[in-house]
Amino acid sequence: HFVSLIKKKLTFPWFGMDIGGTLVKLVYFEPKDITAEEEQEEVDNLKSIRRYLTSNIAYGKTGHRDVHLELQDLTLCGRTGNLHFIRFPTQDLPAFLQMARNKHFSSLHTTLCATGGGAYKFESDFRTMADLQLHKLDELDCLIRGVLYIDSVMSRGLSECYYFENPTDPDHCIQKPYTLENPYPLLLVNIGSGVSILAVYSENNYKRVTGTSLGGGTFLGLCCLLTGCSTFEEALKMASDGESTRVDKLVRDIYGGDYERFGLPGWAVASSFGNMMSKEKRESVSKEDLARATLVTITNNIGSITRMCALNENIERVVFVGNFLRVNTLSMKLLAYAMDYWSKGQLKALFLQHEGYFGAVGALLELLHPS
Amino acid sequence: MDIGGTLVKLVYFEPVDITAEEEQEEVENLKSIRRYLTSNVAYGKTGVRDVHLELRNMTMCGRTGNLHFIRFPTQAMPRFIQMGRDKNFSSLHTTLCATGGGAYKFENEFRMMADLELLKLDELDCLIRGLLFVDRMGFNGHPECYYFQNPSDTQSCVKKPCTLDNPFPMLLVNIGSGVSILAVYSENNYKRVTGTSLGGGTFLGLCCLLTGCETFEEALEMASKGDSTNVDKLVKDIYGGDYERFGLQGSAVASSFGHMMSKEKRDSISKEDLARATLVTITNNIGSIARMCAVNERIERVVFVGNFLRINTVSTKLLAYAMDFWSKGQLRALFLEHEGYFGAVGALMELLKPTDDL
Repeated sequence: HFVSLIKKKLTFPWFGMDIGGTLVKLVYFEPKDITAEEEQEEVDNLKSIRRYLTSNIAYGKTGHRDVHLELQDLTLCGRTGNLHFIRFPTQDLPAFLQMARNKHFSSLHTTLCATGGGAYKFESDFRTMADLQLHKLDELDCLIRGVLYIDSVMSRGLSECYYFENPTDPDHCIQKPYTLENPYPLLLVNIGSGVSILAVYSENNYKRVTGTSLGGGTFLGLCCLLTGCSTFEEALKMASDGESTRVDKLVRDIYGGDYERFGLPGWAVASSFGNMMSKEKRESVSKEDLARATLVTITNNIGSITRMCALNENIERVVFVGNFLRVNTLSMKLLAYAMDYWSKGQLKALFLQHEGYFGAVGALLELLHPS
Repeated sequence: MDIGGTLVKLVYFEPVDITAEEEQEEVENLKSIRRYLTSNVAYGKTGVRDVHLELRNMTMCGRTGNLHFIRFPTQAMPRFIQMGRDKNFSSLHTTLCATGGGAYKFENEFRMMADLELLKLDELDCLIRGLLFVDRMGFNGHPECYYFQNPSDTQSCVKKPCTLDNPFPMLLVNIGSGVSILAVYSENNYKRVTGTSLGGGTFLGLCCLLTGCETFEEALEMASKGDSTNVDKLVKDIYGGDYERFGLQGSAVASSFGHMMSKEKRDSISKEDLARATLVTITNNIGSIARMCAVNERIERVVFVGNFLRINTVSTKLLAYAMDFWSKGQLRALFLEHEGYFGAVGALMELLKPTDDL
């Protein structure tokens, strides 16, 4: 039984799933070193799954493969192949389960390692709709494991980790690589639908310091309500065209300048959306301004809470991950600036290319190297 | 005076021990000002005197009188300054002690439009001074300070009085348009730990946008009738239950407004639900930040003040609950009846403080 258990875990396909509050993140290992013999023995549905995943970049109406994040020629568990990064809305999980059922995924008898809240919430759906047994894993364990792994494999080539130099100067703001050698201690801020903040002391020693419910889901939810947009991409586009200072009440709106006594510059926001209690001002702002204000408010709140944690945990490096930051340079630069400015240069904001996929990677690693 | 981002708070000392001689000598405009303020409870369209907060028979600087608490929107400041001019306030040659950002912002207007020189004071200095004074004086024989017993139990949750004896150290959370959090070690020794821009102004601004309401009272009325769980994505919506590993109950909010990315859900909620969700989101965020500060500063008593809490029992109870629940009973939330007026009281005290003799 023990031997068959190990054998069971190593048969293809190799997936790691992270079923979050808004998005499902799927990592898939595509073997490139299949021998002629293996190919011949390969069952049809396994071949079909591999072809479907690797020859498409879009799946159905909402599934997407982030090709720019693909890791090629990766060696995992003695096999060489490409690691693919796929995402789709959690709302569309039923369609995914239907597909898994249609492709007889369960006959492949592989373990499906899944993390995120959905691994618990949808456990019985997987069983009843697709005859699949999930191996449930904690999302934060997987997150950390995934971050450390990806950073280690990437250090040979392009850097996984980066930061922003001159974040407030649009003409001189550049992304620069950063090596996460000796990563500990690290403050890890995971911005998904909601936010978790972890203090990481070593690979197996971390604590969840706190969290906040004002996360990516809040940004998107409020934007949809305030502007009529329907997707994250639309919301970001609007935000990039807006001006939040028309919506927010700044320190200078209240003081007529800086609040010097406590070091608050006139341009700092005193009251987010504070101008919106005035009918006149409500009528003078655009949807783009509202989207921008929502982005700035959520981002700065996360930055502020993070800074407090970093101070109290005595940690100087803060790594921001999660899909709120996907294609969202506005928030990344804001976080980079805020960390630097309010800490007077003591704190450094770091970012990772694979943003929201680390939980799924961690789940895959658990499949291959059970802890 | 405390000229804030949204409201101007004015405290006025009405002397009741005026002798016949004094009365005779009293100039007309001073008498007129006194009569105007004390015989009305509303001023113009937006000024209000909070009669229920009046402190009677106070002795200040050797005089006995009543302390009145008046507020009006900062937006109406030009009108107020105009009135100061019309009533020839400047001829009375009194010092006008003012705090809040507006003391700086409107300094020139006061000078040019009403020939009045403001004595500008820091808002946090005044807040602390005013708070300690009112708590010491008591509220017409009753305690100024209160807390909630059994905040987690809606049936048996009850307001109980207390006094701030040995008030230090205390964490003071001032929720106005924005929020300041202070660690107070003694009357003259405090630091501003942090702040957040997600305050009362955010609640009102977002509510106006989301529901079409126009005033704080309307927003609260709507919030009292709504259900935020239709709007917020809870832990159980993501996990199907509790997130046990890290002690997060299924009923905890995982993502505020998180359901609103779904068109179906947007179409199914009411304006009242949105108002409630806005209130809960802002309140819980403040509570969470306050709790982190309390833990880090190692302070167990957290005093919440500011006009966001005016007639806002939903927020006060939520804060009481959050402090108690998330700290497992270690932290206690305290509240004060005169909520948003302490800055103005502190400014008045600066006016009355004894000056050094030459």
